[in-house]
Amino acid sequence: MALPVLKPHALCSAFQPSNSKINHNQLPRALGHLGQCRWSSHSLNLEKRGRRSLARHLNALPDFPLMAIMVQHVEGTRDWIVHKSIWHLSDASIKNVYIFYFMFTVWGCCFFASMEDPYDRDDYRSQGGDGTAHWWYDKQEDIEQANRAELYREELIEEIEQKVGALREIEEAIGKEEQLVK
Amino acid sequence: MASLPHLHSLSFHSPSYLHPTKSKSPSYQFLTMPSSPSASPFTVSAKEKNPWLDPFDPGEDPGMEINDPFPEGKQQEDPRLPDNPTNPYGFLKFPQGFNVELADLASKLRGDVRRCCCLMSGGVYENLLYFPVIQLIKNRYPGVEIDIIASARGKQTYEINKNVRWANVYDIDDKFPVPAEYTDMIGVLKNNYYDLVLSTKVAGFAHAAFMFMSSARDKVSYVYPDVNISGLFLTEYFIPPNLNLSESGYHMYDQMIEWLGRPVKNIPKEPVPPLKVSISKKLRAHVAEKYTEAGAQKGKYVVIHGIQSDSVASMQSRGDTDSLLPIELWAEIVKEISDAKPVIVIPHEKEREELEETVGDAAAILFMTTPGKLAALIEDSAGVICTNTAAVQLALARDKPCVALFSSEEKAKLFVPDAEVKNCTVIASKTGKLIDIDVEAAKAAVKCLGKTPVFA
Repeated sequence: MALPVLKPHALCSAFQPSNSKINHNQLPRALGHLGQCRWSSHSLNLEKRGRRSLARHLNALPDFPLMAIMVQHVEGTRDWIVHKSIWHLSDASIKNVYIFYFMFTVWGCCFFASMEDPYDRDDYRSQGGDGTAHWWYDKQEDIEQANRAELYREELIEEIEQKVGALREIEEAIGKEEQLVK
Repeated sequence: MASLPHLHSLSFHSPSYLHPTKSKSPSYQFLTMPSSPSASPFTVSAKEKNPWLDPFDPGEDPGMEINDPFPEGKQQEDPRLPDNPTNPYGFLKFPQGFNVELADLASKLRGDVRRCCCLMSGGVYENLLYFPVIQLIKNRYPGVEIDIIASARGKQTYEINKNVRWANVYDIDDKFPVPAEYTDMIGVLKNNYYDLVLSTKVAGFAHAAFMFMSSARDKVSYVYPDVNISGLFLTEYFIPPNLNLSESGYHMYDQMIEWLGRPVKNIPKEPVPPLKVSISKKLRAHVAEKYTEAGAQKGKYVVIHGIQSDSVASMQSRGDTDSLLPIELWAEIVKEISDAKPVIVIPHEKEREELEETVGDAAAILFMTTPGKLAALIEDSAGVICTNTAAVQLALARDKPCVALFSSEEKAKLFVPDAEVKNCTVIASKTGKLIDIDVEAAKAAVKCLGKTPVFA
């Protein structure tokens, strides 16, 4: 066997049914056992050898067990297993991976969303957006409405002026008549 | 008060402002109308009471008497709480719809209109002819605020109308509106709490439902004669003589005018005001700058409008599609103008090149698309020569001498009913096609136009 990871995982004694009977005093040790077999499949072998060597080597990068099977397919026969490797992620590792993924996504949203200024876009400014919290603007309509109101006032003033002018003419005419009468 | 006996009563089921002219004795319409298919309400007349609205309404009750809460007749200007300058928070004003409602039941019974919305179908011409209606609403309901919803082209017309408050763009002629815009517009209509919504589109089911969803008090529209369902959504409807309203010419909104200006109680029938157009100082200054640049002087030029073009800005009426003349014919007419400088208005820049080739330096060419600019240009001119475009109406509204070229006598009578009074020379084609128009007659008329005294 060339690959050490190929060693069957069932050897890890913490998973075996015989261990289900361990009492509470033994539990910490069993947990320790579990922890060891989680990180290295070698440690089990070392212990089986009678704990002679206490020197445990710790891999810098824990060798996550992953299973991959390479199969050669021949017509009419069973598949030949050419190559098989196993890699198991523990619960904690899976959690870590997901947390990392989650955190990265959150960071990405925050970071890349802040790259663009929503108030500096053309469709916002062109509609009269002025950076306040309001989104609905009627700036154009407001301007037009104000202009019409002004137009109304202009016309009104014109009308009044015309009426006043007519009144003055009448008054002048009356004044002249009075003078003539006198 | 209330000298007419039939106007004494006021039914709560059908407010008298809806059907004022009818003094019906209690009838048994509801027994026959809605159930039997033979007696369709639409075959009788548009002025009949709509039995679909309330089948259990037997009409006005002659025995009922209510003391009239409004002896004065017309509604008063908007009642408004006085501003309190001592208020530490300044002038507290709420947006419409959030304020405490001041209108009382009596004003509702009388049919006061505080906010009115007009849904306009058509382009510049149709909107321009609607001006008298707007003025009539303003006169009939003092203090009313009139909003307009029109197509993008039609909205531009309201630059020269002083009586309108808001003008929004929404094309009600669009058969497949964008859903977001459609719902948005319903929201806009609802939020404004209109008392009266008028529509000049001939409504089928869809448009009637759209108006119904505005939840305005009165929904008034033209309807198709054969779509029975649309009247159900409306409080009043008119069946137009022809499906294309514009074909009726200047008096295209007569049915609506008659209903709006109807005599109620001691308010007499509202007279129809003439078409008037008001031009602001800003607009005048802008246009003056433009025509001075083009080489024309105030009061010493003649406006020519009605160049053939596929531009949407040609300001034709929908009722008269044959109303544009090709450039060659215009060139002939332009040659005859000697006293004043001809100013040709083009609806699109692409026409400029061909015009310059045909006409040369004899005329100034101005690119104008909005009715506001055209009105200001006409206002400063000595006269107008045009085909049946909005320019005719603008010239008549501003009392400018005008030579109008029409495709037929009938069209001319429809669109310029009072040509003689209004200093308008009408030249109609004898064949019914504008292209066959008598150019010599046009030339003669144009010469007369140049000689008219100008008081600029």
